[in-house]
Amino acid sequence: MLDFLAAQWQTFADSFYRNFIEDNRWTYLTSGLLNTLLITLGALVVGVALGFALAMIRTTHDRTGRLKVLNWIAKLYLTVVRGTPVVVQLILIYFGIFAAVNINATLVAVIAFGLNSAAYVAEIFRSGIMSIDPGQMEAGRSLGLNYTQTTWKIIMPQAIKNVLPALGNEMITLLKETSVAGYVGIRDLTKGGDLIRSRTFAPFMPMLAVAAIYLVLVLVLQYGVGKLERRLRQSDRD
Amino acid sequence: MKLTKILAAALAAVMALSLAACGGEGGSSAATESSSEASAESSAAVGGAEDPTTVLTDARIGVQLGTTGDLYISDEIDAGTLGDASITQYNKGMEAVLALTQGKIDAVVIDNEPAKVFVEENEGLKILDTAYAEEDYAICIAKDNTELKDQFNQAIAELKEDGTLQQLLDYYINGVEGAEPYTSPEGITYDGTLVMATNAEFPPYEYHDSSSGQDEIVGLDVDFARAICDKLGKELEILDIAFDSIVTSVASGKADFGAAGMTVTEDRLESIDFTDSYCTGVQVVIVKE
Repeated sequence: MLDFLAAQWQTFADSFYRNFIEDNRWTYLTSGLLNTLLITLGALVVGVALGFALAMIRTTHDRTGRLKVLNWIAKLYLTVVRGTPVVVQLILIYFGIFAAVNINATLVAVIAFGLNSAAYVAEIFRSGIMSIDPGQMEAGRSLGLNYTQTTWKIIMPQAIKNVLPALGNEMITLLKETSVAGYVGIRDLTKGGDLIRSRTFAPFMPMLAVAAIYLVLVLVLQYGVGKLERRLRQSDRD
Repeated sequence: MKLTKILAAALAAVMALSLAACGGEGGSSAATESSSEASAESSAAVGGAEDPTTVLTDARIGVQLGTTGDLYISDEIDAGTLGDASITQYNKGMEAVLALTQGKIDAVVIDNEPAKVFVEENEGLKILDTAYAEEDYAICIAKDNTELKDQFNQAIAELKEDGTLQQLLDYYINGVEGAEPYTSPEGITYDGTLVMATNAEFPPYEYHDSSSGQDEIVGLDVDFARAICDKLGKELEILDIAFDSIVTSVASGKADFGAAGMTVTEDRLESIDFTDSYCTGVQVVIVKE
């Protein structure tokens, strides 16, 4: 039994050495991780900013009937972006829209994933804003605040709190979706694992490492969102 | 009312900014590109005929992930023999060529035969006269499957002997008129199947062909593998997967053997065995004209 375990351990140690230590292969994972984080963070900023603007257009139209044209454009955007796979969008943007431009591939990924995420974030924000009772708006207006003031001071603080769990969910999805960035030659975390796999032909070890790193990232993200949720709940009555 | 205006202004600002950003990117990159092209040309002139190493030095090089081109270039970059060259591994050779036509990279290192097809189908590309590296292609078989390896080696020897291999080389690579692809002998019966792992995006070794009205995977490797399987009395079944997963799937038993214009390398020999070589390949450099 002990011999068996020792032999297994030796196999594992050999495989570990070959996949990560030899030729400094672990650097594929660290540089890939850096790119994954870069793309995710960049796309998050783009996604939240654009998504928020889209949500404001949609809710303003839903609540007041104004912004007809902008609302139509926003709806078209949501339909197209949510109706097509992100890999296809990424390839279209890299080889299509930026065909003639010599642009950093990571930047293209930030734009592609950001534009994609924006569509989902927009609907998340919209659901949050629409979940606030119209009476709140009426109350605010009757107290002498105008539409903008009521939106920012009364509606938004409540809406943001409501959408946090869904927003955290979207962040996690975004992080994992960036794993297709390798399609345009970017060395992200998944591609880093693929690179090791293409050198050592080990079916398990590199991908297990990649999976573990993604899991840790998601756990950190979950912890952060959870903490923020608790912080925002402090003002609630219990 | 005010909110509407703010939103409209914000959107306009975003659009203007993004346009400006794109324009800026385009402008600066075009400038660097033309200057790098100019320097490449001048260095080529100084160095006489275009030498692959001269062209690849300090260049942005595209390869297909896990191919020998990838392995050689990665090693050279690690060793610092190509100056400040950088490498981008694409999932498909075609994507590397596409990136080259768009000026995203300066050169593609790939096998000669697919290179010819790519250059034929894309205007403004050329293959450097001098090859980057030469290599032997072989079929890979799991390490513990020596019985199959011996049978394959025997069949390969026989197919070399009876001219079948030459016929395939004539048809697929040399373009000899009147040469025919391989067809199984009529009335052959099979006892079981052999699964071949390949990456059918590598003309003329293996590629999808729908000219007959239905999609099939054809090519030199496919015909040759079918000839071998016919000799062994097994039916050929094709598993079309990513190139960098071929060795893995053979080693793990998902496929019986792998044939995809594969070169015997030391790295690969650590995980897998190879049959005798059946043809030679050449790694070439594709650049813009």
